[in-house]
Amino acid sequence: MEEKRDEVERAGKKIAIAASMLLFSSHRLPGVRGWELRRRLGKDYLKIIDALNNKLNSIGLRVKIMFDQPSGEQSSQDDFDKARFFVTLSEPLTVADIVAAGWSIEDVAILAAVLSYIFTKGGKAGEKEIMELLEVKFPRWKVEAAIERFIRKGYLMRIEDNMIKVGWRTLAEVDEKELLKAIMDITPPQPKEDNKENV
Amino acid sequence: MSHERKMMNREELERIIALCESIEKRGLDPFSVNVKELLMKLRRILEEQKDLDTIILDAETLYKIAVLISLQQKWLKERASSLFIDSQLISLKITSAEPKQLAAALARSWRPIVRAEQLTPYRLRQGMEYFLMLPPRDRTYEKLPTAQEEALRILKGAEYAKDVVLEEEVRKMHEKCIMAAGSDGEVDYWSIVSADTFEETVWRAYVLSFVVSEGLADIKKNPITGEMKVVPYPSKRTREKVAAFVISLKSGEVPKALGREKG
Repeated sequence: MEEKRDEVERAGKKIAIAASMLLFSSHRLPGVRGWELRRRLGKDYLKIIDALNNKLNSIGLRVKIMFDQPSGEQSSQDDFDKARFFVTLSEPLTVADIVAAGWSIEDVAILAAVLSYIFTKGGKAGEKEIMELLEVKFPRWKVEAAIERFIRKGYLMRIEDNMIKVGWRTLAEVDEKELLKAIMDITPPQPKEDNKENV
Repeated sequence: MSHERKMMNREELERIIALCESIEKRGLDPFSVNVKELLMKLRRILEEQKDLDTIILDAETLYKIAVLISLQQKWLKERASSLFIDSQLISLKITSAEPKQLAAALARSWRPIVRAEQLTPYRLRQGMEYFLMLPPRDRTYEKLPTAQEEALRILKGAEYAKDVVLEEEVRKMHEKCIMAAGSDGEVDYWSIVSADTFEETVWRAYVLSFVVSEGLADIKKNPITGEMKVVPYPSKRTREKVAAFVISLKSGEVPKALGREKG
């Protein structure tokens, strides 16, 4: 009985350590690598992460694992050791939540447009064509500033020949299929009745 | 003639390599190139010229065409997985949508990373423990009391914590400052604080800090010379500006007065 209580206590302590490792880090990139968790929590670290995930689910969070290379059906221990573990929200936000978090609607709209366009272009697109597409809707300076900001935040990445590709953060946070589906579901706003009458 | 033909073939092969590379680098549609035609050209060139240079370039071209075919496969796979959504179609949707609609589309598919920007008390404690474990970098500081027990020993030795009425000590220090200042109205800090032993020096500095905190004196520091003067007041004054500065003392060294003690 005593032994079982000790075991539960030890597991609880390890879950707390795992939570603090995943939530707080001083690296530029959030989260920790699998091998770091193994070193601190022991070889059964995946079980600890699973238990933490169950606990986090109840408060709308989840542990996300991002593998370096997209693996096949079964991920090996080595894949998990190299993978990056971090905590994300388990449910999507509303636009009001995003605005309350300090984002401007226009910035989020630019990010949505750039990402969806890049996704349909196979993961990368020319900066010039992105600018041409967005210039129709937003002032050029705003698009340029937003793109620079998203590159700094890791949502986008500038590669050779003035090409833009999706960054690590997009891969971690954005569901590609869901985004494309959401964009396709957009119905163009109807012109207002008053305008019709005026015309 | 043969040399000219050779040069033309070589240029053609280089053109094919450049074409394949540009498609790969720029992410263009890999189906915009007729692979069958390229392979036929390659065969013709290989049949015409069988020298080593052409064979090597031909092999490189064949490799680039193979990469192009793998890109075609990848392209098809991506198209199939993205429900055949074309970039043209997306462009149309983007241009016709309101910014708010675009933002809502991203919100639907976005699950941001959660991270803490602040240390937890547990981590802070860990950091403190680690800091206390670190050896001093400068050997002259090694004599400083690092452990809590050692600090307590000094406190006990100087009887800081027992049988001492601090108010009385503060009053005595205030009187001493007024006497030392005399008509100048100020006295050198170290001449007041310095004592024969390290413990006594620390004790005097400690009591003097209370005199200043009570508004019975002020400490002025010359930023150029580093000289510090104590300015005692006959009665309590309301302190206009409150500032704190650190005065360091090395263990075993009793600082000498910079100025001359008055009175």
